[in-house]
Amino acid sequence: MAQPIVQTIHRDPALFWWILLPITVVMVLTGILRHYAMTLLQSAPKKQALPQIRQQRSLVRGMNLRANANVLTPSSFQARKAYMVSAYQEGKFLADPEGRGKPRPNPMSDPAAMEGIMGMMKGNMAMMVPQTLIMGWINAFFSGFVIMKLPFPLTPQFKSMLQSGVGTRDLDVRWVSSLSWYFLTLFGLQPVYNFILGSNNSANQVTQQMGQMNPGAGLMGPEQDPDKLFLNEAENLEVMEHRWILEGVEDRLLAKFSS
Amino acid sequence: MASPNLLAPPSSITPATALALSQKAPPILSTHPTSTLPWPLSLLFTSESPETWTIHENLFYASLRTGDDKSARLILDRLSSRFSPANERILTLRGIYEEALAKTPAELEKVFANYENVLRDEPTNFSIRKRRIAVLKSLGRREEAVTALTVLLENSPTDAEAWAELGDLYAQGGCWAQAVFCLEEVLLITPNAWGAHAQIATLHYLTTPSTVSTLALALRHFARSVELNESYLRGWYGLKLVSKKLIPMLAEVGRGGNKRGNREDEDEDAPPPKLETVKKLEELATGKLAEIVRMYGAGKKGWTGFDEAEVIAARELLDRDGKIER
Repeated sequence: MAQPIVQTIHRDPALFWWILLPITVVMVLTGILRHYAMTLLQSAPKKQALPQIRQQRSLVRGMNLRANANVLTPSSFQARKAYMVSAYQEGKFLADPEGRGKPRPNPMSDPAAMEGIMGMMKGNMAMMVPQTLIMGWINAFFSGFVIMKLPFPLTPQFKSMLQSGVGTRDLDVRWVSSLSWYFLTLFGLQPVYNFILGSNNSANQVTQQMGQMNPGAGLMGPEQDPDKLFLNEAENLEVMEHRWILEGVEDRLLAKFSS
Repeated sequence: MASPNLLAPPSSITPATALALSQKAPPILSTHPTSTLPWPLSLLFTSESPETWTIHENLFYASLRTGDDKSARLILDRLSSRFSPANERILTLRGIYEEALAKTPAELEKVFANYENVLRDEPTNFSIRKRRIAVLKSLGRREEAVTALTVLLENSPTDAEAWAELGDLYAQGGCWAQAVFCLEEVLLITPNAWGAHAQIATLHYLTTPSTVSTLALALRHFARSVELNESYLRGWYGLKLVSKKLIPMLAEVGRGGNKRGNREDEDEDAPPPKLETVKKLEELATGKLAEIVRMYGAGKKGWTGFDEAEVIAARELLDRDGKIER
């Protein structure tokens, strides 16, 4: 009946008021502040010029034709296909017909692309600067404090997560150090922000980074050559097989209602 | 029927519904959506949500429709102080407001000139472009509206709404082939829209001179529309109408021998439907229409959503049919 020895550490109750609470409050406030800073720093999405819109939507039109061709009669599908393929091959819809066949310019030299990169940098800075400051603040004032005890047992693997800054090997995993509390709040406050700021806030860095994974993963990223896309689509249209959905619809309908 | 809701109004609003919607204006206008407290407090105590503005916008349309211009003005001012007056959507709403208030063609021309100015600065503002076309339409300048729409579609060929509008304009002018082309584009964007299928079928049906092939196309599109939506009254109505017209023509072709049929086969997409099939389809449509009319008349649950005018038309069609048979 050897019960594990329960470690007891007598903590000053002031620890709660002077470390745990301040860290939490500061983290929440930084998140809110960051949200508003991001809202301010965000530049309005740049408007596309008319030729660009035309280029993109013409490509979508071709894709629509390919995807939904079965509503068309064979003759009108053939007519459309012939038109689209020849227009694509001639580059009729290109925003910049002169630039056809030329290599794409370096994105770094394109002012529009630079702006996007700058926006990303701004976002990163708004995240990194306060994080650095707060971590420095916690390290300077509260390092080495054990501030709370979790009410449930944990496996020793959590030691590095919960007790960073406290170099004691035999301490029970349930004790949490101040620096670890900082990390926990850093990653775990998203629901709180959702509650305060609404669901599409930009307070947390984790969601921010996920958003940056695929910037403009749309149809026509700036890196892709529209001419190549058009030629590709023309080829797809050329080889596609057409089936008319209205063929035999009357028999289908009768069969459906006679049964 | 569910009570009209400003957040998600029905897609086609009857005059009665519009009135009910616009009568909700006073309570909404008496509360202020944005907080009047100074800045940091206003962030905490605001009751503003995205829904607030959707409600405002729908209320704006409803009050303009019912002639409550004062409320509309208030809502418009509120919206433009919240979002800037230069916002694309606010510009459009302002345009709609001015159009609604314009009494004479001269005033409408002024609105039109205003749109031209906006478009010169900002050629990508598609909603203003559409308003401009709407003004052209209400001024009765159909040709210009068609031209403007073709320009819009040249630049934005994935706009189903604009294609449908262009199809409508062509149909008004009797250019059936062009109208059919436009509706086919609509179908390419929304392939399962039974309304679009019925519309294209109507266009085929109206095409003059009507031949077996156009009527067969109309029949097939109507059949597709009821295949997609089994309780689509307009589809069944059209199906019955077309098949009634098609039966004598098919019978004649059958009697006239295969000579004509063979020649037509070359440029035709599919052989015309068989006579028996069409007859069966007509019976089916008659049965369905009778069922809908009966159920609607009895006020059965789940059958009351039909448009009253359409049900009356269906009953009339059935009655006419009955008299001929008798």
